[in-house]
Amino acid sequence: MTATPLPAVRAPIDWKLQAERFALLAAWAALIGLFAVLIPGTFLTWRTFSSILGSQAVLVVLALGLLLPLTAGDFDLSAASVLVFSAMFVAVSNVTWGWPIGLSLLGALATGAIVGALNAWFILFFRIHSLIVTLGLGTFLNGMTLWLSGSQTISGISMTLVDAVVITRILGIPAAFWYGLALCLVLWYALEWSMAGRRLLFVGRGREVARLNGISVDRTRAAALILSGALSALAGVLYAGMTGSADPVSGQGLLLPAFAAAFLGATAIYPGRFNPLGTLLSVYFLITGITGLSMLGAAAHVQSLFYGGALVVAVALSQLVRKRQPQNFG
Amino acid sequence: MNTRLCAATALLILPAQAALSDAKVDAQAVLDAHRVVPDFAPQGEPFDAQACMADKKVFSIPITMIVPFVVELERAMTRAAEEVGFEYTVWENQGTSDAWIQGVNQAISQGYDLVDVTGGLNPAVLGPQLQEAKAAGMKVTTTHLYDDTQTQEAFVDASAKVPFSTAGEILASWAYLETGGAPNVLIIGSDEVLPTGPFVQSIQDTLAAYCPDCKQTYINVPVTEWATKIQSGVQSALLADPTINYILPIYDSMSQFVVPALRIAGATDLGIASFNGTPFVLDMIREGTVQMNIGESLGWAGYAAIDAQMRLLCGLPVPESLGIPLLIFDADNVETAGVPADFDSGYGDEHLAGFRALWMLEN
Repeated sequence: MTATPLPAVRAPIDWKLQAERFALLAAWAALIGLFAVLIPGTFLTWRTFSSILGSQAVLVVLALGLLLPLTAGDFDLSAASVLVFSAMFVAVSNVTWGWPIGLSLLGALATGAIVGALNAWFILFFRIHSLIVTLGLGTFLNGMTLWLSGSQTISGISMTLVDAVVITRILGIPAAFWYGLALCLVLWYALEWSMAGRRLLFVGRGREVARLNGISVDRTRAAALILSGALSALAGVLYAGMTGSADPVSGQGLLLPAFAAAFLGATAIYPGRFNPLGTLLSVYFLITGITGLSMLGAAAHVQSLFYGGALVVAVALSQLVRKRQPQNFG
Repeated sequence: MNTRLCAATALLILPAQAALSDAKVDAQAVLDAHRVVPDFAPQGEPFDAQACMADKKVFSIPITMIVPFVVELERAMTRAAEEVGFEYTVWENQGTSDAWIQGVNQAISQGYDLVDVTGGLNPAVLGPQLQEAKAAGMKVTTTHLYDDTQTQEAFVDASAKVPFSTAGEILASWAYLETGGAPNVLIIGSDEVLPTGPFVQSIQDTLAAYCPDCKQTYINVPVTEWATKIQSGVQSALLADPTINYILPIYDSMSQFVVPALRIAGATDLGIASFNGTPFVLDMIREGTVQMNIGESLGWAGYAAIDAQMRLLCGLPVPESLGIPLLIFDADNVETAGVPADFDSGYGDEHLAGFRALWMLEN
């Protein structure tokens, strides 16, 4: 008697899931098609796409930073404050103190990581909710930024940084875009294929279950917060390189768009999970809409209607597809 | 036949050239008037300020004390009050309405004679509180909010207004000449900021008068969205119309978001001109990323604001405007604003002696 091997059974393709995964991508393509019709000859040019892609790197990096603690179930509301402080640190240390630009960048990144570590310490040692700690430390950092800058905008940051961020182009697109894309791919690989990334996902899905399975939950959450601080600081460095200057307030406005991108991104590619590819896609979906509307001459309020409306409608539709199950991002 | 055709063509072309030439002369005259360090021109008759203000107290509520422009304006106003020798209190705040309301209540409870909303704070948002202050016998003023052409709120006693419309005329004249009489400008404003309306209108009207057929585009970006929307707005406008040849961000702190937009769009040859005289933008002129900035001396503005408040409290006619001169800074004279630039250099100090004489402080 010989055993006959069972024929391999392939799981049937879940078309609904596939549709949900790529719905935002399809919506983006539809949006591009719509604007191509409405703005013939101008919208569908490489110049337009170079402009769209090249301008959003700061938001991409900030949103990618945020999604690490979000995946572990923590909110980092200090991210934009770290961004602003980091940009100001680069400006003050480079312009006022005369540091070489490389040293300024290292200082800024280290500061971001230290703020992340402080967030982690307060959250994990004192068992305080991340919303409270990061809100508090973010506000503290805003005060530090005002103090460091004397409430002034500082221009004249080394052109080496400006060159490396926005003037250098690859395929006609400013280098900043490629940094954001590279970071996105690295995070995607890390979250999908590395042990550390899987641990982060488990911790976000259920801390107690993760702990019982031998995962060091505190260490994983701390690493996510430290990385979030460092990546927010990197976004600040790009912000400084993009504008060649730093001001103590305006970067704060990036916090909500970054969260919006992370949440909208969680409806795409890997629905129900914060994921780098979805986040990248959502940033460019939103900016494509804003750019098209601007080119059509839409007023400022129409852009806000699109931004907020697209976010709510996309998340709501995604919920309809999954039969309104309670959300469990992580 | 050919001679007749030439004559007919000449008849058509010559008036157009004459109009262009007239417009250029007019535009140049506007710029020339704002290129010289200004003389002090008193806004009223001299009066004995020390005697009149001996028992008076003024309470100032700035829009926020985290904006350098406002801090500098308040410093100058405090200096002027110290010179005269009356009590002048600045309500330190970070731009929240609850702090402004607290400020008015504080002024009422401590018996101040005048409450001033300073540096762009719109009295309309404090209507009930300021009317209560008025009912308590206080005077209500605004400093550096309205354009010269705007009407103040009914409950406001006096306003030290700013020549935003004139700044608009200067910006339009500059863009017209810099583009060789063929401007296609992109104007960036913030409609929720009170003087934006007349400021932008002045740019548009002046450009239309110089060149009725020239194109202009306006984009509105609320102040809270400068960091997220100016860059994308400028890029989109340049994509929609690649023939745009000058950018006029009306408030100069917008410039830091325009510069990266031009870099990304590969349009760094486009000029940028603006208004306010903020030091980092003056530094950008020195670095060559911005071409022109219209400055106003905040030291002078602070003294002029105190002059208006004292005249109101002393029962004298109050000037309608701050009367501050506007000075053009470009690559030729930007070094006079300091290296690095500051808020008060480059305007001379004639106003200091002028105000002292006006307030009879010399004796």
